[in-house]
Amino acid sequence: MISVTPSNAQTEALDLENLSAEQTALEIRDLNLHYGEAQALYNIDMTIPKNRVTAFIGPSGCGKSTLLRCINRMNDLVDICKVNGEIRLHDKNIYDKDVDVAELRRRIGMVFQRPNPFPKSIYENVVYGLRLQGINDRRRLDEIVERSLKGAALWDEVKDRLNESAFGLSGGQQQRLVIARAIAIEPEILLLDEPTSALDPISTLTIEELITELKEQFTVVIVTHNMQQAARVSDQTAFMYMGKLIEYADTNTLFTTPGKKQTEDYITGRYG
Amino acid sequence: MDNINVSRHISGKFNEELEAVRNQVLNMGGLVEQQLRDALHAIEKHDQELAQQVLERDYKINALEVQIDEACVQIIAKRQPAASDLRLIISIFKTIADLERIGDEIERIAKVALESFNNDHQQFLISLENLGQQVLSMLHGVLDAFARMDLDAAYDVHQMDAQADRQYEAVTRQLMTYMMEDPRGIPKVMNVLWSARSLERIGDRCQNIAEYIIFFVKGKDVRHVSPESMERTVRGKRD
Repeated sequence: MISVTPSNAQTEALDLENLSAEQTALEIRDLNLHYGEAQALYNIDMTIPKNRVTAFIGPSGCGKSTLLRCINRMNDLVDICKVNGEIRLHDKNIYDKDVDVAELRRRIGMVFQRPNPFPKSIYENVVYGLRLQGINDRRRLDEIVERSLKGAALWDEVKDRLNESAFGLSGGQQQRLVIARAIAIEPEILLLDEPTSALDPISTLTIEELITELKEQFTVVIVTHNMQQAARVSDQTAFMYMGKLIEYADTNTLFTTPGKKQTEDYITGRYG
Repeated sequence: MDNINVSRHISGKFNEELEAVRNQVLNMGGLVEQQLRDALHAIEKHDQELAQQVLERDYKINALEVQIDEACVQIIAKRQPAASDLRLIISIFKTIADLERIGDEIERIAKVALESFNNDHQQFLISLENLGQQVLSMLHGVLDAFARMDLDAAYDVHQMDAQADRQYEAVTRQLMTYMMEDPRGIPKVMNVLWSARSLERIGDRCQNIAEYIIFFVKGKDVRHVSPESMERTVRGKRD
């Protein structure tokens, strides 16, 4: 059969219910989360495939950011938050007592909605995580800075001013710098929490382009309010509503022929 | 069964745009149906004036196609429709292209009515009538199914095409006999044969529109699939 999709378009759909161990980046099993008395996530069960982009969509308060934060235990910082269930990374539950959270967050990096560069130079921003790990060899750091900034599609714009303050960059550049900082420590998984919601449309497209390139090396999980963005960048999409995972499917299917009426109503902008 | 609920969008303006474009398609369908009815009537009653009117009205169908196309492009550009909205727009795009081509076929049929047939030739025309009525009811049925996005009605029309094809074959055989009997009448018979061919093509295009309706309702492309597979799609329940 003749294929009409260009080869760099979205990758082939996976059978999300039956991923092999090599295809799996992360398994979320029967995850429940409470903030005090209030339950925010209900029995979430999903497998996130490796080297792919997975998007979480849903209305405000549906639990998508909460779920994302569970993946690198950011919710540990909230006192009243209680998590039940498992998130398995290479067959190890990340909520086990013997898990080193700092090490976990090194393996699972995160980028937030508002670009948050540190009040340091562009160079020092990128190497910040490496210095924390005790890496100070200048040549090695130089290499990593170049590689990470190239990986974040920022190198050409900043290579002549690496020692200037990161605050001199535009919002879109700052966000790419933060992504460079996240990939400098070579995580396995990159969590993006609405990474473009504070950016203009052109910077947004640059980041989207970058996300597609990042999946070659990393597994990307993105939360977005922009449904067209989810449709454009992700390989599979999870629709969440009121703390529940309503539908999780290949992105092409979810946006053309969703299986559930709730999904249909949400993505077409109808009253539920 | 009513499968359209364009009116439930949070954006009232989007509802209006979809409703407007859908109404235009129904208008276009109504016009095409009237054209076919008139063309067949003109042949039956040797009404050359009516045939002339049919020819003159075709531009309206073409104009509607262009208008609807443009409205759909606007909706895609501004609203980025998804899921059933997207499938509706795609079905409309394809349906109006087929309706426009049906309009062209009707023109060919109407031209036959402009010719003068003597009494010997009348019999040729009678053979067209049954086929014409069959195709007209297919067109009526499919437009009706489109208006309600009625899956079962669309499937019924799809099934009717086999019968139209059989009638077309019968007409062809009959006309061939006339040609063999009297070669001098061949030019006239050929004209009738062309319009029979046009009617048969209209049947095929109605079948296409039925497929777009099934695509809208079920989200499955049923073009070029086996009859069994199509039946499974139509009868299958959506989760």
